[in-house]
Amino acid sequence: MKKLKKTLVATTAVATTLALIAGCGTSGSSNTSNTSGPSGTGSATPASNEITVGTLYASSGAYATSSMPEYAGLKLWVDQVNAAGGVQVKATGKKEKIKLIAYNDQSSVSTATNLYNQLITQNKVNILVSDFGSVLTSVAVPIAQENKMLLFDPTGSGATFFTPNNPYIVLTALPTSQIWPDSLAQYLTNHGIKHPAILYCENDFDQSQNTTLMQKLQAAGITPVYDNGVATSTSNYSVLVHDIAAKNPDMVMELGYPNNDIAFLQALQSTGTKFNKTFVIFPGQLPALFEKDFPISQLSGLYTYPTPPFINYKNVNYGLTLPNFESQYKSSTGQTANFLSVAGYTTGLIVQKTLETSTSLSQQDLRAAVNQFSGTIVTLDGPFKVDSTTGAQLGETLPVGQLVSNGKGGLGVNILK
Amino acid sequence: MRKRIVSNGIVIVLLALAFAIAPAFYSNESVLFQMMVFLALAQGVNILYGFTGYLPFGYVGFFGIGAYGASVSISLWHTPAWLAMIAGGIAALVAGGMLSPLLRLSGAYFAIGSLAASQVLYYVVSNSNLQNITNGPYGVNLAAVFNDRASYFAMLLVLIITTMFVAYLRMSRLGMSLVAVREDPISAGMAGIHVVRTRTFVWLTTAVIAGLVGAVYAWHISVFYPDTVFDLSISIFAIVFTLFGGGATVLGPIIGTVILYGVYNVIGVSDPQYFQLIYGVLIMVLVLFLPNGVLSLLRRRGIDVP
Amino acid sequence: MHLLFIRKQLENSGLLRMGADRPVLLYTLVSGILFGIFFGLMGLGLNFIFGVMKIVNLAHGDFVMLGAFGVYLGQTIWGVNPIISLLIEFVVFILIGIPIYYALVPRLLKSRDPEMLSLILFFGFSQTIEALATMAFGNNPETIDATLLGKYPFHLFGQSFQFAWLVVVLVSVAAMVFMYVYLYHTRIGIATRAVMGSREEAQSSGIHVHRVSALAFGIGLGLAAVAGGMSPFMLGGIFPTMGVDLTAMSFAIIVIGSLGNPLGTILGGLVYGISLMLMQTYLPSWSSMVPYLLLIIILLVRPSGLLGRRVRHA
Repeated sequence: MKKLKKTLVATTAVATTLALIAGCGTSGSSNTSNTSGPSGTGSATPASNEITVGTLYASSGAYATSSMPEYAGLKLWVDQVNAAGGVQVKATGKKEKIKLIAYNDQSSVSTATNLYNQLITQNKVNILVSDFGSVLTSVAVPIAQENKMLLFDPTGSGATFFTPNNPYIVLTALPTSQIWPDSLAQYLTNHGIKHPAILYCENDFDQSQNTTLMQKLQAAGITPVYDNGVATSTSNYSVLVHDIAAKNPDMVMELGYPNNDIAFLQALQSTGTKFNKTFVIFPGQLPALFEKDFPISQLSGLYTYPTPPFINYKNVNYGLTLPNFESQYKSSTGQTANFLSVAGYTTGLIVQKTLETSTSLSQQDLRAAVNQFSGTIVTLDGPFKVDSTTGAQLGETLPVGQLVSNGKGGLGVNILK
Repeated sequence: MRKRIVSNGIVIVLLALAFAIAPAFYSNESVLFQMMVFLALAQGVNILYGFTGYLPFGYVGFFGIGAYGASVSISLWHTPAWLAMIAGGIAALVAGGMLSPLLRLSGAYFAIGSLAASQVLYYVVSNSNLQNITNGPYGVNLAAVFNDRASYFAMLLVLIITTMFVAYLRMSRLGMSLVAVREDPISAGMAGIHVVRTRTFVWLTTAVIAGLVGAVYAWHISVFYPDTVFDLSISIFAIVFTLFGGGATVLGPIIGTVILYGVYNVIGVSDPQYFQLIYGVLIMVLVLFLPNGVLSLLRRRGIDVP
Repeated sequence: MHLLFIRKQLENSGLLRMGADRPVLLYTLVSGILFGIFFGLMGLGLNFIFGVMKIVNLAHGDFVMLGAFGVYLGQTIWGVNPIISLLIEFVVFILIGIPIYYALVPRLLKSRDPEMLSLILFFGFSQTIEALATMAFGNNPETIDATLLGKYPFHLFGQSFQFAWLVVVLVSVAAMVFMYVYLYHTRIGIATRAVMGSREEAQSSGIHVHRVSALAFGIGLGLAAVAGGMSPFMLGGIFPTMGVDLTAMSFAIIVIGSLGNPLGTILGGLVYGISLMLMQTYLPSWSSMVPYLLLIIILLVRPSGLLGRRVRHA
């Protein structure tokens, strides 16, 4: 009998602790990164005298390289509008400071799921901005839709996100991946490439580009001599490079993530293979990453999608111009701006324009406001234009460019038609 | 025996109550939901590892197959969500049946073999050649049937059924014969226990559990890529949670998951860069100093835990 | 259904018209053999530790990764020739391995189920190394210019291959010769073989089992580091989280060969290398499945490995 009692006590004690922890163990984990001035009172309720913007970033893991500069770009925007006294919010009729609430998802999708929910349900943010890339954005799409929150999606260009029945997403800083290869296909047809070879990685981002590219090439009567997908985890391209070389292509396009592009270029370097023309995606976005691993002599001559800072849009009518952005980014973060920091900053600008345009802070009105100014503004990331039903980005298209040495030990780009 | 039924009953009722009421006090349901996911998966690992000694490193394979079983059922056949959950369980059952020859392996061979199997399942599901069925690398979008409230309670249901099954194993002849097989398969076989049949039964059961959990998870997050649901760290978490609490008990995996997943959410937010380090060191310390989990501390003092 | 896909792929890729593609086939096979020898080196350390201690070093791939970063840092910071770095690493990792052995293994061997618990223990170790390495080296992949080991290609069967591959193969062969000499022509090596045969018998015949095992553990890590040092020239970019995949790959190789048999490791490496390269050439999109599929097939069809004699108790 005594033993029974002991068991019961132990059980209930443990079970109660469990219930307690289950209930509140995770609620104390808010870690706000308040980059606004002393104005933030910490109150998360909307209205009052500030607008809360919630976002995630990844300081570690697979997406850290891209996520951190994107986050830094967004922060730069927050600092600048707050230094100017805030954003002129049409809904409240006065200037409001921006309070940024940011959590670190460490590139983990399941952590990101929790944190997006945290931003919506606990912090009750006014504006929701997703983390870098399609993978970390994917889980935010249904959460935002269900909670009727407009998701400002900087770089998650995944093919399945943008559907006519989901009004709660806007792609802000680059076009959807399906339309990336438009310029590339155009280049091939214009320059008489007859026997291209395509090697792509089997993920949403690269494979959707391959699909578009194949369609466009077929329409132009070009049949690639090689078109194969490999797993994204592929790190050794030596034999693949040799197989492609055996087909004598007049242009080779490798569509991968940065790691794949680096491994592919390394295989070219180590096997001593020289293709007539070689296209890879990421040197145009992350030149510093490639310059660290390869001599300029090997990178120059490569074809890529150049992005700002390689492209300097002249007719910017909203936000900083590229040279100003580059110098202010450098002075505030100590780092050189790259495309992702431009993307983060551009997203901030789109949020700002939305707040300046929308007549209320309701999410439907915010979405309507985006449609309203879509096609009218040009940022340092190019002309901003969204599909009015799906929210997919149609502007900010990527041209094809060829990397060249800029004569100062760095890279420049010749933009090709 | 009676006290065991009572104490197990208390644990299950409290568990059900805690997760049924918690959303009223804590609005980030996603954290609670994922905690239930890991609770159920840890119980699945517990059934297999705790009662049979097979360590399923590739347990996530069934989870992923369950998620895809449900997704395919919804996107291709337009079944209602509840039916899709069952389809997920069936998909995992089929995968479990196909992989049951792995049970011929023992110890490390089984662990590594199951890991390899989960990778093979992943590469098949995510392969672009199967795009018409699984949508390949493009991932899945089930936003049309997204329902966080319903999926939350579906998960709770799976969790409670799983926990009840563990409690049943704890108290039944079947559980005892499993432990006998684990300790000494040859003598157990001689004592009249149908070794292969009981093992296969448990293996398939755990496959179905992971499949159901995966299916409900897919429903709950509704937009995901293949690597999200075949992420190896899902099995690793479930294993570590089970080991931390202690296998072959009802309470062990619960304690392990609630404490460690709670800690994960606290340090995971404030100091994520140290997270993997802390986990790695914790696993090593556990194996070296507490190989039977924290509950073994209580048991050593003569306290019977459910 | 799969067969249909595979058949379609085969037709597209031209394997069914192999005659026309002979140079590609030949190149693929020879690369497979060269990589296979390197893959043998990759599995050697893991297999040696398993043979002597019957524990699975799941942190094997992480030691390979550390070896790779050692050579990378030596090259980029101090300009040390990779081969010199390799020799230094081999000694350093042996010296590191011995205290790690005494800290972890004796305690582990006393437990109820050392083989199984070793899996979990070394998994924890692997996570720890990976976390520390990520803090130290960051997330980006690093590469070494492979022409560093020799600029001019070498020719084999009328095909030209990069010189670095030849160097890597020579290093791998040297490591295998070292293992052979150590095991068969040194006193401690003969004692090691006695321990591999039976720990208890070796103990009772007066062999210092722990001393022998500690050195074996060190050599196992040393061999992993050597394989790692060569990996930037074979595997492309190196990064802190590459370890888990490498461990799975090494495990596949030694299971294909047969656990605990060094000669089997070489055969396992060759089978793995050739099948991987054939798949990359003719069915690229399925090639990542190769290590795992081979592993399962071998485990189920011939659980003792290709060279195994004894049947594993199930």
